[in-house]
Amino acid sequence: MCRDNSLYDRAARVARVAALAVLAAVPLAGCAEKGDQAAEAAAAPGDFLVVMNRPNKLNLVDLKQRKVANTCDLPGDFGPGTVAMSPDNRTAYVLTNRFENIYGVDVDTCEIRFSARQSQGDERVKSISSIAVSPDGKEVYTHQNPTRLLIDRYEVQDARIAVFDTSAGLDAKPVRTFPAPRQITIMAVGKDGTLYMGGRDIYAMNMQTGATTVALKSQSLNDPMESQRDSLTVWPLGDINNEMVRMYSAARYKDATQDLATADWVWGFERVDLATGAVESKVFGPLEVVLFSGMARPSDPNQFYGVLTQLKKFDVAARKEVKSVDLDHSYYCINFSTDGSEVYLAGTFNDIAVYNADTLEKLANIQLTGGDMSLANSRVFSRAL
Amino acid sequence: MKHLKPLNEKAHLIDQASRQGEVDEVVAMQTVAGCTATTDPGWEVDMFGGVAGLCQPMEADLYGCADPCWWPAQVPDVMVTYPDWAGEAPSAGKDWRKLDAVFPEDDS
Repeated sequence: MCRDNSLYDRAARVARVAALAVLAAVPLAGCAEKGDQAAEAAAAPGDFLVVMNRPNKLNLVDLKQRKVANTCDLPGDFGPGTVAMSPDNRTAYVLTNRFENIYGVDVDTCEIRFSARQSQGDERVKSISSIAVSPDGKEVYTHQNPTRLLIDRYEVQDARIAVFDTSAGLDAKPVRTFPAPRQITIMAVGKDGTLYMGGRDIYAMNMQTGATTVALKSQSLNDPMESQRDSLTVWPLGDINNEMVRMYSAARYKDATQDLATADWVWGFERVDLATGAVESKVFGPLEVVLFSGMARPSDPNQFYGVLTQLKKFDVAARKEVKSVDLDHSYYCINFSTDGSEVYLAGTFNDIAVYNADTLEKLANIQLTGGDMSLANSRVFSRAL
Repeated sequence: MKHLKPLNEKAHLIDQASRQGEVDEVVAMQTVAGCTATTDPGWEVDMFGGVAGLCQPMEADLYGCADPCWWPAQVPDVMVTYPDWAGEAPSAGKDWRKLDAVFPEDDS
């Protein structure tokens, strides 16, 4: 349950942030040189990672320092722990409390500036890792799966997109809702404000009118040379590449007989360029092991990495695996440093593994306080402390 | 219903009603939101029928399966039915001894 961060903790964090600001602005006499260095360090942009873990903690991780910079205890219970960041990377919007509540949390002070309980009255609402923030930071979107809990039966309601005003404060209610496809598990927002939803296909929704189109066919592709695609993802990834990306597996047939015995089993990715709206789907390697999440290395889209119990690196053009290492344990969620030099593995237990993106050599484990990350996604961004 | 063959009397009645248009079209719930039994391989065996592709160790995958009600028959569902099952065990790898079996409750 809510520990409310305790007033003491919150005050201490606010004081720490304020002290850094003072340090950056007014070096103390006699300590000017050290003060300057500290101020420069505080002001210089660095890479940070935000991720949730049990029992219901939000962590801000300083990736350069390899340590947790701040931890916030949130109200309610864990799950799924999906995070979407505000455009200034100061506020984390999290989906939590058994897939029902949304909190907008200042990652530096732990102040909860926004909250919404999606379940209301006899209607229970669950959102499966589908949360996204508009480019201007003024709205947060969730995909809702409502069920009416009646005295003698449950009634499944139509799925919908809910739009919340991020300035509405605590206990916010949706300002708009739109009918939406079912089975949506991840979402991202394009530069022009279009909401992309990953489900059976990847859909695009105009967030003013609610008009929805298929942006990229996946299960409805009907390619006679390919089996129906299978895609498992609850990890919205790709921010640092300015893309929405997910993997799929499929059989590629040799000919029109669609003989599975001779087919090639492949991994592919489906992506949306969030700057232009352009979509792409491409095979990147053979399906030889189970992978849960993957994304291209920043600065080199030809290098695609995937993770579960191994960390694998693929040459997309050659459609082959070029390197693989066994991991200490399975990790669900992959991510990169903004320059693409390091790989960050999160999810499952409560450590973030850091790997060299060139050699796949392990560089560090960053331990979180508390329990498992489970299905939580990680968000990586660069900003000053 | 074209892929299903009724075997018992009740199934025959449903099939008959369905053919006469007396049953509403089934509205599929979200795969992972409704605790519907999924036939995905992945807990006992991997997609290739072996075990090499399973999560290692199994505790690493425990809450990833319990939180979203992914395999409600294999792992207690903490999303809806057994919300407190893992309440005292934030780390599956360290606290697994605190995780007990669950049984349906008799409401009568």
